[in-house]
Amino acid sequence: MVVRAVVVRSVIGAAIAGAVVALGAVWYVRGPGPLAFTGGKNVAVADYKEGDPTGVPADMRQASLLERGKYLAEAADCVVCHTAPGGRKYAGGFAFKLPFGTMYSTNITPDSETGIGKYTDQEFLDAMHRGVRRDGARLYPAMPYTSYTFVTDADALAIKAYLFSLVPVRAVPPANSLMFPFNQRWAMAFWSVVFNPDTRFRPDTSQSLKWNRGAYLAEALAHCGECHTPRNIGFALDNRKKFAGAPVAGWHASDISSDRTTGLGGWTDDDIASYLSVGHVSGRGTASGPMGEAVDHSFSKMTKTDIDAMVTFLRSVPPATSSGPSLKSAPAPLSHTDGATASLLGKKVFEGACVSCHGWSGESAVSKFATLTGSSAVNDPSAVNVVQIVISGTRRLTPSSALSMPSFGHAFSDDEIAAVVNYVTARFGAKGSSLTARDIADLRAQN
Amino acid sequence: MATTLNINGQERSFEAPHEMPLLWVLRDILGFTGTKFGCGMAQCGACTVHVDGKPVRSCVLPVGNLQSRSITTIEGIAATPVGARVQKAWLDLEVVQCGYCQSGQVMSAAALLVSTPDPDDSDIDAAMAGNICRCGTYVRIRAAIKQAAAAQKA
Repeated sequence: MVVRAVVVRSVIGAAIAGAVVALGAVWYVRGPGPLAFTGGKNVAVADYKEGDPTGVPADMRQASLLERGKYLAEAADCVVCHTAPGGRKYAGGFAFKLPFGTMYSTNITPDSETGIGKYTDQEFLDAMHRGVRRDGARLYPAMPYTSYTFVTDADALAIKAYLFSLVPVRAVPPANSLMFPFNQRWAMAFWSVVFNPDTRFRPDTSQSLKWNRGAYLAEALAHCGECHTPRNIGFALDNRKKFAGAPVAGWHASDISSDRTTGLGGWTDDDIASYLSVGHVSGRGTASGPMGEAVDHSFSKMTKTDIDAMVTFLRSVPPATSSGPSLKSAPAPLSHTDGATASLLGKKVFEGACVSCHGWSGESAVSKFATLTGSSAVNDPSAVNVVQIVISGTRRLTPSSALSMPSFGHAFSDDEIAAVVNYVTARFGAKGSSLTARDIADLRAQN
Repeated sequence: MATTLNINGQERSFEAPHEMPLLWVLRDILGFTGTKFGCGMAQCGACTVHVDGKPVRSCVLPVGNLQSRSITTIEGIAATPVGARVQKAWLDLEVVQCGYCQSGQVMSAAALLVSTPDPDDSDIDAAMAGNICRCGTYVRIRAAIKQAAAAQKA
């Protein structure tokens, strides 16, 4: 009996210890919240004395519900993910290609059969804040509800009102093709318990109203971290490395922490504001790919005061201390014979297809948008963004004089693309890439 | 938007949207039809003109970006000593076949000889590779550039 009691006790003890270790591991993996880095005290919006950092900008407070909803929907950039290439706006069908399959965004036009037309206010809030669909099924966090959870009820419902003012589009997205176990939606309930704080934005009393406005825009609406913060083993944001830069859909989302080398630490306030509102800073490159879309559809629509608030917030994010490359900000030589020639094939491609816009020095005679000097893409020795731009081109909508670049994915072989990217990064960046045709094939598959 | 540009040494004023590429202004508004439309995406070189002496693809260059810079087109290139030598070499060697790309070829060649008076083959490749000729006159283009360079030295 005594032996049995000892065994039972040790089994229970081991179970408790195991549970404690498991909870500790979960707690550790979850890590700090997105605003924990300030160490400040967070309070409910109503208890924050400086003013209300949520909602629309002060000078829009008198605007109609639909105007406010439109502003907030654009700030949340719903349209980019909920529109398929060439498809109707907000009608869904955009593909997220993931290592474990492909999933498609949903139709959020007010069509009652295929869209969100039957959603009540509470059902809409459940989707935005908790990642739960009208039919009770769980959303995958490709819908960034762990960020949208910080959006106030009033703002979420203004967005709903705007979406419900759109023309209903009858459109059913393709079925997801996720592999097991990722195709088990119910499992996202457990994921959400761990990784979704399910709480509205709480201003930081140690910070100014402007900072808190920037934090609300960046964290709740613009969901910057969803691309720019690396993910942990649970595919949730790892805020220990907040804004340190991360891979996204075959591109590299840059370090936007205050790191002086790889992040925004060396940028002026005007640099950051210009990059957000027009997608370009002289000598620092041009937003392309997913960030170009974010500028076109979201940041370019924000008021100057909101852009400035985001700048204030971004400035406060501690350096990510990633060991990224140094930045080469001087132009390359004017003559093709001077400067680095990493690949003769690369030079041949460059002189035929690239130099007429980008120039041998990297400073474009056609448009500042085409200047390569100082661009983070050509200074990244992984060169993934240069590869994607070469393959897909870049098409910017704002400002109207922005230059587009044609896609070369069908014109050149993987060997040629690897060669020209190695040539470009060596000539115009701090450290050249050493990509192979296989790398190009892999990157093609991710886009 | 009212804009004034110096084209081939003359001030020209016109109304055009900020984002209209220079090629449309030249051909459709001002009637300088010597410059040709080829691909419309800076990949063939047919639309090459000089902006402050540098060869630029006018099909992608928004006119609003130009402000007070001076433009030289194929209609004005003979007024420069280098341009005149290039055109003479082109005629002497009968470079042209169908001729559609040749305005751009001449403009790129003239710009090359200003920056590099005595180009070797790699200099010619570097400057001319973006000017495509579907008749394949590349061999005569190379020879004409060398002849113009030799005339420049003489």
